[in-house]
This record gives sequence, C-alpha cells and structure tokens, in this order.
Amino acid sequence: PSPNIPEQQFLVMRLTKPTLFTNLPVTCEDRDLPGDLFGQLMRDDPSTIKGAETLMLGEMLTLPQNFGNIFLGETFSSYISVHNDSSQVVKDILVKADLQTSSQRLNLSASNSAVAELKPESCIDDVIHHEVKEIGTHILVCAVSYTTQCGEKLYFRKFFKFQVLKPLDVKTKFYNAETDEVFLEAQIQNITTSPMFMEKVSLEPSMMYNVTELNIVTSGDQGESTFGKMSYLQPMDTRQYLYCLKPKPEYAEKAGVIKGVTVIGKLDIVWKTNLGERGRLQTSQLQRMAPGYGDIRMSVEMIPETVNLEEPFDITCKIINCSERTMDLQLEMCNTRTVHWCGISGRQLGKLTPGASLLLPLTVFSSVQGLQSISGLRLTDTFLKRTYEYDDIAQVCVVCPFLNNEC
Amino acid sequence: YQKLQTDFEHSRLNQAVTKVHLNIIYDILLQQDSIDLGAGEFVTPQEDSSATLSESLMDRLNDQMMESVMISDSPNNSEEDDVGPIDSFLDGGLEENGSSGNKKEESEIGQNTTEIKVPVDQKEQECTKDDIKEEIDIEEQIQIVVSPQSEAHSPVVIKSEDPEHQSPKGTSPKDEPVPVCTIFSQGTQPKSLAPDGFQPTLIKSPSFTTGSGGGSDEAVTPSKMTAPLVCQPSPSLSKFFTDNGQANPASDFFDSFTAPSSFISISNPNADVSPASTPAPLSFTPEHQPPTPVSVFGPTVTEPTTKPQSPISQTVPSLNLASSTPQAQPFNQLQAVFSGTDDPFATALSLSEVDRRHDAWLPCEETRKMLISVATQQYGPAYVDTNRLTMPGLKFDNLQGDAVKDLMVRFLGEQAAMKRQVLTASSVEQSFVGLKQLVSSKNWRAAVDLTGRLLTAHGQGYGKAGQPTSHTTDSLQLWFVRLALLTKLNLFQNAELEFEPFGNLDQPDLYYEYYPSVYPGRRGSMVPFSMRLLHAELPQYLAKPQEALDRLHNLKTVCLAILENLEKGSAEDGSMITLTQENRQASLKLWRSRLSRVMYSMANCLLLMKDYILAVETYHSIIQYEPQQRVQLLSGIGRIFLQVGDVKMAEVYFQDVEKSCQMKARDPTHTTCVLMNRAFVYLSQNSYAEAHASFLEVLKIDPRHPVTNNNAAVCLLYLGRLKESLGQLEGLVQQDPALYLHESVLFNLTTMYELESSRSTQKKQALLEAVACREGDSFNTQCLKLV
Repeated sequence: PSPNIPEQQFLVMRLTKPTLFTNLPVTCEDRDLPGDLFGQLMRDDPSTIKGAETLMLGEMLTLPQNFGNIFLGETFSSYISVHNDSSQVVKDILVKADLQTSSQRLNLSASNSAVAELKPESCIDDVIHHEVKEIGTHILVCAVSYTTQCGEKLYFRKFFKFQVLKPLDVKTKFYNAETDEVFLEAQIQNITTSPMFMEKVSLEPSMMYNVTELNIVTSGDQGESTFGKMSYLQPMDTRQYLYCLKPKPEYAEKAGVIKGVTVIGKLDIVWKTNLGERGRLQTSQLQRMAPGYGDIRMSVEMIPETVNLEEPFDITCKIINCSERTMDLQLEMCNTRTVHWCGISGRQLGKLTPGASLLLPLTVFSSVQGLQSISGLRLTDTFLKRTYEYDDIAQVCVVCPFLNNEC
Repeated sequence: YQKLQTDFEHSRLNQAVTKVHLNIIYDILLQQDSIDLGAGEFVTPQEDSSATLSESLMDRLNDQMMESVMISDSPNNSEEDDVGPIDSFLDGGLEENGSSGNKKEESEIGQNTTEIKVPVDQKEQECTKDDIKEEIDIEEQIQIVVSPQSEAHSPVVIKSEDPEHQSPKGTSPKDEPVPVCTIFSQGTQPKSLAPDGFQPTLIKSPSFTTGSGGGSDEAVTPSKMTAPLVCQPSPSLSKFFTDNGQANPASDFFDSFTAPSSFISISNPNADVSPASTPAPLSFTPEHQPPTPVSVFGPTVTEPTTKPQSPISQTVPSLNLASSTPQAQPFNQLQAVFSGTDDPFATALSLSEVDRRHDAWLPCEETRKMLISVATQQYGPAYVDTNRLTMPGLKFDNLQGDAVKDLMVRFLGEQAAMKRQVLTASSVEQSFVGLKQLVSSKNWRAAVDLTGRLLTAHGQGYGKAGQPTSHTTDSLQLWFVRLALLTKLNLFQNAELEFEPFGNLDQPDLYYEYYPSVYPGRRGSMVPFSMRLLHAELPQYLAKPQEALDRLHNLKTVCLAILENLEKGSAEDGSMITLTQENRQASLKLWRSRLSRVMYSMANCLLLMKDYILAVETYHSIIQYEPQQRVQLLSGIGRIFLQVGDVKMAEVYFQDVEKSCQMKARDPTHTTCVLMNRAFVYLSQNSYAEAHASFLEVLKIDPRHPVTNNNAAVCLLYLGRLKESLGQLEGLVQQDPALYLHESVLFNLTTMYELESSRSTQKKQALLEAVACREGDSFNTQCLKLV
C-alpha cells in the first residue's frame, strides 16, 4: 500500500537528555600580538560564561547528536512526528507506536484516538516513554493510517531497530560469621561507556533477615560514604558494597538447624547519568547455602577483646546439637603452647536433644603476649564415641599490664 | 518469535531462518566452550551431570570465588516470582560462565543445571539442521536469544533514514561531549584596528635596536649585507612571492612589517639555504672551532648564499604579477605607521620593567648554564649544539580555503557562491594589522595563511623545519597566533606538528639572553606565556590529556616559584634586583593571574578526562585567585555534578551560589545565574515544564539572552511542542543573526528541521545563505548537517 512518494512522513528522534555545550578557550595576554582580540572573541561568543570565559563547561543546551546507547533499566524516550508532506488535507489519522521486544509487544502511544484532519505542512507530535526491561533487539514500530480526500484509505509503517545493552555487572560473595550474621559483598561494575552516579545501591532483605549497610562511616552526626565525596563510577570501574545480614530473632533460634539454600534478598540499584538520565535495576534473589555445621555447632558467645598476661579470663561458648539424635557429650580441654585452661577436663555435659543448645562458661589464661587463638576444646559424643575438635574458635589480644603502667 | 514473524515478509523470513539456524549451531558450540573454560571456577556440564545435585551446589556455594549475579530485569517488571523463562534463557545465553544459572529465582535449582546441559546434549547428538529446527520450534526462547545475534540476517527491513537511528554499535556514547566550538559570534564589531590600538612592544623587533647599533648587529648576522636574502617559497605560496623585478622581495617584505629600515634584517642567515645544498653552518661543534665566532661565521655563510642563489631565483616563477601590485601600497602605509613611533631608546627604557615582568621565566638547569655562558661570552651562540636549538618551519603549505563557499558551490551553485565575500590572506595588508583584521572578522583560515606567509618571509617557511634560524619577538608571536588559530579551528594535529620543533619551549635560543647583541640587556623568555599555555593544553585535544596535565603542572610549578621569588623580595627569576613596591605588586598581580589561568586549564583538562573529583577541586581552588568569579565557578561546579548525574550535590552548590548572590549587591546577571541553575535542576528532574518556566523568567530580565532563548526552545521540544520550538529558534536566528548564528544554536535548529519535515535540506540551505552573508571562513559548517 505504500506509494512511491510517501505523502506522510514519519520522523522519529530519540530524546536522550540534552548536553551542555563546551567551549574551547584560547586566550592571550594584552601584550601578545592579537592584543585583546581573542578575549573579545570569547566575550562575544554567546556560549561562553560571561565573566569566566575560560570555564569550559557552558550553559547552552544542545540536542542529542545521535541515537547513543540504551541500557537495561533506562527509559527510552522518543519524539514521534507525523508530517503531512502532501498538498492536500488528509483525514482520520491514527498513529500507533508499538515496541516489539523479543518476548512481547507493547503499545506506547499516548492516545489511541484518531485525529480528524491534518493540513499540509502540519504534523502530529507525540513523545513516548518506555522503561526498558529487556536486553537485546527492540523494534519501534510506527504505523499510521489515514484517509485521503478521494476517500482512499492508506496505511504505512516504519521500523526503527535498536539494541538494549547491559549496564552493570554484579558479582556477589557471602561470608558467614561465627555468629548467625551473614556478610554480603557485592561488586558492581559499570560496563557502560559513561560515568554513572550511583544514587542508590541497597539490599532489600528477605523476610528472614534485617540488613545493615556497611558503606557509610559515621563520625559524629554525619555519615560519610566509604566511596568518598563523589559517588560516581567511571566506565569499567568496580565498586564493592558490603552488607551485614542478621536473622530476625524469630528465625535466629532456628538458625542453627536451618540448612540448605536460603533467600537473602536482592540488590536494588538506581543510577543517573548526564543531566539526570535515570536507570534502575534489581538483581534476582540472592541465594546462599547456609554453612554446614556438622553434628554439633560451637560458637563463642562472649570473650573479652583484651586480657592481661597470665591472668585468667572468662569466655562463654554455646553448643548446639545440629544432628537428628540426642547426644551425650563430654568436654575435654587441652592446653596449647600459649593457652591454658582452668578447671576439670573430661567432665560430662549431659544429654543434648536435637536442636537444643547449651551455654558453657569456661576460664582460661594465656602465657604469651600478642594475638592468641583459643584452641584445644574437644567434645566427645559418648554414644558414638565420636570426637569433635574445636580449634581457633576465637582470638584474644594478650597484653602485659606492667608495661602499660610504665607508659 | 511468532509475533515477530507475522510482521515480516515471508520470503525474507525463509531466507533468514536457515541463517538463524546456522547461527544457533555456532552458538551452541560457543556456549559449550565458554563453560569448559570456566572449569576452574565451576563444574563443567559433564561433571555436573554425574555429580549429584546437592554436591555440585555445595561445591559452588562453598567456592570463595565471586559469583555473577543475573540482573534479571528492571524492578517494575519483576515481582518475586514472575521472571519469565525468556529472561533465564537470555541470560543463560549471554552469561559467559554458566554460574548465573545458580542465581536465578526459581523454585528448583536443578532446573538450571539441566538448562546448562541442554546445549551440550544438542551438540552431542550431532543434529542435522532439521533436527535442530525441530528442537528450536519447541524451545522458542532459544530462538529469541539467537535472533538478535544474527543481526545481519535479521528479516527486519528497517530503513534507518534518520541519523539518530544508527545501530548502537556504530554510534559513539551518548555523553560524548559536543564537538568543541571555536566559532565566535560576530556580536559587536571588534575593536578598531587603528594603529593606536597597537601595542608598542609588539612591533619592537630586534632590528630596531640594531638600527642604532649596527656594528654589534653585524657580528651576529654577517650575511645580511653581503648577500641578499631569498626565501624559497613553498609551491602554493609562490603565487604570493612573485618576482616583481626586485632581487629580494621576501626579505624586503619581512622587514616592512617589523622594522622601519628596510634593509636591516636579522633574519636567519640560513633562511635561503635549500636543505640539500649545504650543511648548516651551526652544525660545527665548539671543540673543533677557535673561540672567535666571527671568523668562523663569515665564510660558512657566504658560501651557501651564493650557491643556492641561482636555482632559487629560477624556481620562483614569475607568476601573476597583478597580485603583487596591490601589496606595494599597504607596505608603504605600514612603514608610515612604524616610522611614527617615538625614539626607540625611550620606549625601550620604559618598557624594560614591563618586559622583565612579562618575559620572566625559569629555564631548566642546562639551558640556564648555557645562557650564562653566552652572557659571560665564554662562547658565542654559534657553538650551541644544534639539537639544543629550535628550528621551526611550516609543516603544511596548502591554503585553508573556505568551507562555507565550498558548500555553497555544492548546494546553491557557482552563481550563488560567487556572491560570498570574505577576506583572504591576499586581500588585507601583509602585516600584523591585516592579521588582526582577519582574526577579528573571523577569517581564521585566511589568518593562518597570512601567518604562513609572514613566517616564510622570516625564513621559517615550508620545509624549513630542522634548519638553523634565529628568533625574534615577532616571529614567536606569529607562531603563537598561527598555532592558536589552528587550535581554535580544531586543527589540533596540524598545531601539534608545527609545535614539535619547539620542543618543550626551553631551548636556549628562545631566551633573550641568547642574543646579547640584538637584545642588549634584555632577559627572559621570548616565547609568550600564552604560547606556553597553548603548548601545554594542546595534547588534551589529541587524546593525550595526561601529557597536557604534566605540562600544565610544569607551568604551575614555575608560576609558583616566581611568586615565591617575588614574595621573598627578589626579582621574578630569583635575582637580587630591588623592585619598587609598585612594580612588585604589579608583578605579583600578573603572576597570580597567570597561575589562575593555568589552574583553569588544568581544571578544564580534568573535566575533559572526566576526572570530576579533581576537576571540581581545581575549579574550587580558583575561587581564591578570582573571587569575582565565585558565582560563575560555583555554578559551573554545580553543572558538573548535574552532568555526572548527582543532582543533590549540584543543588548544594547552587544554594551556595544563591547565598553568594544574596550577600552581594543586587546584580541582574546574578539573578539570571540563579534562575538558570534552577532551570537546570528541573531539567535533571525531568520537569521540562518547570525548566521552561524558569528559562522564561530569565528572559523577563534579559529578553535577548541567547543561551536562555536557545534553552527554552530545547525544553519545548522535550514537551512535544516541536513547531513552537522551531518557530522560536528560527525567529531568533532571523532577527538577531549576530547572536544566534552560533554553532550550537544552528545545530539544534537543523536537528529540529530534520525532525519536522522531509524537506529539511531546503531549510538548511537557507541557513547556509544566512551564514554566508555574515560568517567568516572559520565557520564550522558541520552544524548545518548538510553533508
């Protein structure tokens, strides 16, 4: 149905944000050959900043020069103009703009009602917006139908193809603390070609966890980002975000017996580029395999940070039966080269049913200064005659009190 | 995929289908490869199938390697569990290592494992094309993954008539800065070029000092009396240097613009030596020569000057006698102007203080030692090693032309193009006056041509690079103007090429001390500070910003050292000269302003490098040197933040601007500035209507503000009001061409023409005609988007 010379013209332009014009300052001094000539030329240039002509970044807005790149999560905006190039009035013009992706077809037109008539040299304008949700080829399909004066119904359409690229690369790593806390390190890499201002990178935890962001150093009332004053990411730069997840109390009790894969949450990322061009993405649900603790889990609940040399101190250990059976446990305490246990070794701790826990206060002292590792605890299940060894369960800093006094 | 199918013609589709299939096979192989490569980190598919599910998962989860996370889609699309299978397939196909499979939100992780296995199985079966076709019919998603990759064979018939819709691969990033504009509006007519606007120092050439002390002069340039100087003109310049009967037209011509006496010239004695004919006399090394320079110098010079004489006079063709006749008159006029200057001694004395202040520079240690030995007459300049000398020459001799006229010939015909009247290098006085006229009328290409002629006359013409020459204040000023104009014209490579023989601008022969007889008592750098700055800035436009920064840091160091010297009570160069308080203050002011200019260049360079943190810091530090520019600088920093996307920080700086404006007396430009900043913030928040309203408010204060008018029109386009926007810009260009025939405005206008109608070319041609009437040859025609 398309005539050789199209009477109606579809003109489409992607509306990325305008850019600010930059000058190229070339100056000279009064004594130089051109005298004030270069300065005068710069002052007369409308695009310079008056009073500070050598400032490169001007205020003049310029329209986008080309289609540019579009990334997942950004908003695709486009100006669509249907222009009547013929010399005759046409009637009942219906303009449709659809976006065809690899999985679906979306209608982007603001209005779906026909325009009664279009005079020669006039146009129908529309600005469409669409948040891009898929990677890969997208095709903007613009179609127009209209009736000529002779009553002939005409229809034509145009395709505009573009590729949507991936803007970010996200990698994650989990660290399991001895307590029930889980630390999540997320590496976010900017794989676009322009700097990105990271407006928000937050972890939305699943219902089991509370999250603390560890990307701000608080000093006084004001928190300062660990990434410095300007929170932007250059192309190919990677930034590490750290989050601490704590199971909510109602789940914490059960944490010892939680096994397998748990859903931690997902990262929500909002970025901005030139003049506030915005993009937003979420990762898929991040999953983590709960660490296996074997049959019995021992964690240190309480230990001083710093202790005096050769001075006994108290620690509290927690023993949880993670197995499916009841255990009858016996505790042995073996001295190491540096750590010496106080109390009776080989005592019975009694029966522990599955999932039950037991707090164990112990006393110990160190004979050597420095950072010392607490080791040498042995639990033996008397039913199965199986011994579990617990070494390096915590560290403590051992100092000499006399030296401190002298200072 | 089927939806797509319905849209496209069937015949084309059938062609494409087979190609798509081939691609699938290829893809499968690729995918398998990439999984194998990842074996160090992840289990290969084969292992995967043998291992039990939980084991393989455990392996992966205990692995301390970073894991890729699938960015499934945008948040608005993804509820907890509604990720379509396409996404997973898409990612499966796109992720290089199969690891992402583990991260997908699906109830059973096992599904992902099988998913990775799919291509392997396919491959193992060694399917025929038809088999694959079947499989693909079942698994639609894979087809979808593949079809975008078979881009070239895609059945989509798309006419990308609009330049905006090029394939993204070919286009540059969207934030690429707009080509930097060097076109200046022809707002007010430049200052009068009457001789009284002329700085006396500019014309103070060495030959005027020698006019009174001819004896000492002869020692330096013994050749000039013995043999007339003939410059070898470059082919295209030969038109200019026509043989009009005089024996030495070129040297005559050179003298005419530097000195009142037409036969005294200190032009380089070797200017006439053709490169092949004789070795350069300065290549003699000191150890071979007795310490009496005159005796050595004489014979070596006279010998070459006689030899090349005849061939050169033959090569200078007697072309176009007509063009030389009009030149005679300006020369005479010029002489009259110059002879009107006062007693040269008086001028020199009054200038010495200013000279010292402006010319001060700290040469590197080696150069400094050499200059001291020249001053103490340990040996003459002739013994300086040639590789320590500056031997510049034009590197290209083609005329620059006029792109506007070329476009007119192409689009409007020869007839219309004939009407274009612009000044050329030949139509103005062959002097600094003519040069200034060309610069101010924005005929920078012609001005470059003229500097070429003037430098040729000085013996530093085309092909003269690498040959010994001597420098004067004038020759270096000419080089500065030439290189500055090349930079303004965005001809950066040409500028770099011609800058190259100058090295780091620190050779001994670029200091006055090197020419004790020509510039008796004068010290410091012959190279103007502006030229050093230009030299330092240039690499940033040639994708070598680091080098530019290094050079700028060197300049900064020297500026700081000089300021320190002044504050300590010594002269600029650290010598123990007592300066009057007045002179010291003047000098401190000058050097502070130079330092701040260097800082500006550094900040601009950092901005170009997109090192926004340092750029902002540097701009901020300029405020202490230029407190009167506080408002502009803070606003500029705010705009940098907007460019980065950090709207909040931008607002912080804009608030600072508002505070500064409140503190000062009410200044309409400050109100404008505040409103402008607000408009930019609205723009960054996608509130185009509010931005437009703010721009309109600025126009209430200053209706002729060109930037605001342009910006308001741009806002209208984003509001879907193309016709209005176009009408406004068009009206502005017609009413006030002096202000609006600016590269960026015209670019916006032509872009809108393209969007408005298929007949944009005619409208652009009308713009070309408007440009042709007003703009000089330096107009950047690219913004008209005619070609």
